[in-house]
Parts: sequence; structure tokens; C-alpha cells
Amino acid sequence: MQNFWSLFAAYLAFWAIFFIYDFTVARRLARVEKDLAQMRQQIREP
Amino acid sequence: MTAARAAAIVLRKEIRAEMRTRELLQTTVTFVIIVVVLFSFAFEPTAAEARRYGPGLLWIALLFSGSLMLNPSFAKEQSNDTIYALRMAPVSPFAIYLGKMLANLLFLAITEAVLLPVFALLYNVSLWPVLGRLLIVLFLGTFGIAVTGTVFSAVATQARMREVLLPLLLLPVLVPLLVASVEATAELFADAPSLDRTWVAVLVAFDIVFFATAWMLSDYLLEE
Amino acid sequence: MKNRWLFALIIAALFAFAGYAVFFIAPDEATMHAIQRIFYFHASSGWAAMEGTGIVFFANVAYLRKRQPKWDWLAVSAVEVSLAFWSVVLVTGPIWAHPVWGIWWAWDWRLTLTLVLWILYVCYLVLRTLVADPERRAAVSAIFGIFVFLGVPLDYLSIRIFRTQHPQPVLFGGPNSGLDPTMVKVFFSCSALMTLLMILLVIERYRLERLRYEAEEMRLVIEERAETKSQNREMQRRTALGG
Repeated sequence: MQNFWSLFAAYLAFWAIFFIYDFTVARRLARVEKDLAQMRQQIREP
Repeated sequence: MTAARAAAIVLRKEIRAEMRTRELLQTTVTFVIIVVVLFSFAFEPTAAEARRYGPGLLWIALLFSGSLMLNPSFAKEQSNDTIYALRMAPVSPFAIYLGKMLANLLFLAITEAVLLPVFALLYNVSLWPVLGRLLIVLFLGTFGIAVTGTVFSAVATQARMREVLLPLLLLPVLVPLLVASVEATAELFADAPSLDRTWVAVLVAFDIVFFATAWMLSDYLLEE
Repeated sequence: MKNRWLFALIIAALFAFAGYAVFFIAPDEATMHAIQRIFYFHASSGWAAMEGTGIVFFANVAYLRKRQPKWDWLAVSAVEVSLAFWSVVLVTGPIWAHPVWGIWWAWDWRLTLTLVLWILYVCYLVLRTLVADPERRAAVSAIFGIFVFLGVPLDYLSIRIFRTQHPQPVLFGGPNSGLDPTMVKVFFSCSALMTLLMILLVIERYRLERLRYEAEEMRLVIEERAETKSQNREMQRRTALGG
């Protein structure tokens, strides 16, 4: 296959971009969810 | 009070405020000349090269100085707390926008009046034969810069780091204007100068579309 | 959380199928051979990115008219996701161009326009980080977003006229350039899949923005409570002293 490595690189880049993006979104989500849970408890406590 | 009258009052207020200190014009004119001189050091242009790069340099210098000059347009109202007076004034936000936009257009025009002779001198371009047509292109380009810049000045005022933010927002949005102005100016600097209809049409389209958008969105510019 | 994994699994399965289609079902292109297969990811990402860009504009206008925070959440989500898709377009493009055109980048109108839009969306996100008040942030970024979107046709116009003096290295010109029917089928399945991915990512990002908003509201409530509590304590202390 001609130019196989270029094709492979493009495919990899494609996946990498979405994985990284989804990873950052998931991390931000986790942080917000943690904050929310903490605050809910804070409200319930007293 | 009609919008036109209110806009005229805002315009007169801007001019009077500027004439009192001349801070804005002093700094912008000096800056634009520094830019042009620095460019000539960087390229050491011969007459032929000047014709090739000249239009680009001219418009980049104008865009940079515009993005610096437009910043205080709304920022000064914020720091002097006069923005509340503007909000409470019984005139439409569009009239305030229009007044400020015309003031910025005027200040930019004054800057250009100083810039053009210096540019012609340093880059050995003879502007005299094409001056009339060049003024048309300059007006259309500057109008676009003032229209967009005044809106974004109001936008940037509400953010932190506004001095850096304004060029960041303004310059990429002005890409079509830059391309059209540079190309139209390049046609005027050519051996057989002509006013390129296509590029003038693009400039007119830019001015109309952005001015109409500014008009439609002006209600949201001053609100708190 | 369970849904998330299920979604991920479905997406992965669909992409495995698309990958299979792209590499094994789609016929070999006569002059470019294997490298032409990038087209299926590249162009379909471009479609999804354009759809995302349309959503951004719609959400911006809707926010300014309706003033509901949900439109702002949608706008920022669509900007981020479109930015990811535009990034794919901008990365895979040069990888394809290098063996085919012999250069990484040409200042062709399509490339230039994509790059300008990419930069403008980055500016949009920068602008958002610099405005603290949520309502002001939403209004200000909606105004900027509308200007960006209305500038796109003008950008297209100016770049198109500007760059046609150079030879246009366009090797595929859309559906009527004589694409093989199987290629068209594979391409449309890829586009549909990308659109699905785009929508799912926007939904996920939207949820993040909504939760952030809720967290912000809750923080205000807690602060207010703490304040009234300390005020009450102060009052009690004073009455105790007075009595």
C-alpha cells in the first residue's frame, strides 16, 4: 500500500483529537460533579 | 430627540473630549509612524518592492493602530463611570454607537492624513496621481474598521485584559476587509493604476453587512 | 455513567464498521491510491464541523432573543465541538496534501477560510474566559459569534477572488466530479456517523455547562446562607449582652 504511513497518521490524528477532547470534557465533568456533591452535602448538613 | 441629533451630540462630545487632551491622536499618530518606519528598516524597500509590499504594510499599520485607538472608545466611559449616564440617556443605544463610530472614523481619518505623506516619502510611492481613488478605498476600509471596532470596543470593555483582547477579536474578523483593501490598493500602485471594481464591491458589501449587524445588535452593547 | 460507556461502545462499534468500509469496501482511487482514503475522514469531519458552526449561529441568535441560559450553553458546546472537528480537518488535510500536491499547505480559499474560522473560534473561547458575569459573558460572546458567522461568506468571497490567480489544486469537486457510487455510499455513511458523533459530543459538553451553572448557583446560595447565619449569631450575641 502506497503512502500507508500517511494514511495511518491521519487516522491516528483523527482518533487522538477526539480522545483528547473527550478526555478533557470528562475530566471537567468529574470536577464539577464532585463540587456539586460536596455542596449538596454542605447544604444538607446544618 | 431623533437618533441623528443624538448621534451628533455624542460625536461632538467625543471630539470635545479629545480636543481637550489630544491623548488619543498623539499616541496613535506616533504609533502608526513608528510602525511604518520599523517596516522600512525590516525590508529596506526599493521602489519595486515597495509597490509589492507597500499596500500590505499600509493596511497592517492601519489595522494595528485602529485596534489600539478603538480600545478607549468605551473603556474610558467605564473608568470614568460615565457609562451609567450614557445608559440612562433618553436616546437609543444605536445613536450612541453611531456617534462613537463616527468619532472613531474621524480620528482614524486624521491618522491617515498624517500617515499617507510619510508613507509616500519613505517608500517612494507617488500617491498624487491616484489620490482621489485611493481616498475612496481608504474611506471604505476605514469605515469597516470603525464599524466593527466600535462594536468590539464595547464588547471588550466588559472583559478583563481588554487592551489585549480587542486586537485578538478585531483582527481575525477583519480578514476579508484586509484582503479587499490591500488588493484594491495594490491595483492603484500598479504601473497602470485602476480602481478594481470587484474589490471595491467586496469592501462595500463588508461595510453594509457589518454596519447592518451592528445596528441590529446595538441594543445589546450598552446593557448591564 | 452507565449510559456513557454504552454510548462509547456504540460509537466505537460504528467507527470500527466505518473504518472497515473505508479501508476494505471503498474502491481504490486510480491516481492517489491509498492516500485518497483520508478523504472519508477529512471531508466528513468538515461536514460535521459546518453543521456545528450552523448550530453555534442559531444558538447565538436564540440567546440574544430569548435570554435563556440554555442557548448560551448550546453555543459554547457547539463551538468547542466544531473546533475539534475543524482541527481534524486542518490536521488530516496537510497529511493528504503532502504526498498528493507535494506541499503541506497551500493558500487555497478552502484552507484559508478553515484556518481563519478556527482562529476565530479560539478567540471566542478566549473571550469567554475573560468575562466573569455569566449573563454578560453569554451576551458578549453571542454578539461576537454572530459577527464571526456573518463574516464567513465575506471571507469566502474575498479569499476566493484573491486566490484564484493561483492554479487551484482541487482534485475532488464534490458529488458531481464522477465519484464512484460505492465511494459515495461510504462517504455518506461516514458523514452520517460524524454528525452523530458531533451531536453526542455536543450533548455531553452541554451537560457540563449546565452542571457548571448549577454549581455556580449553589455556591451563591451557600454563601448567602453563611452570611445570614453569621448575622444571626451576631444578633444573638448582642441581645445576650444587652439582656
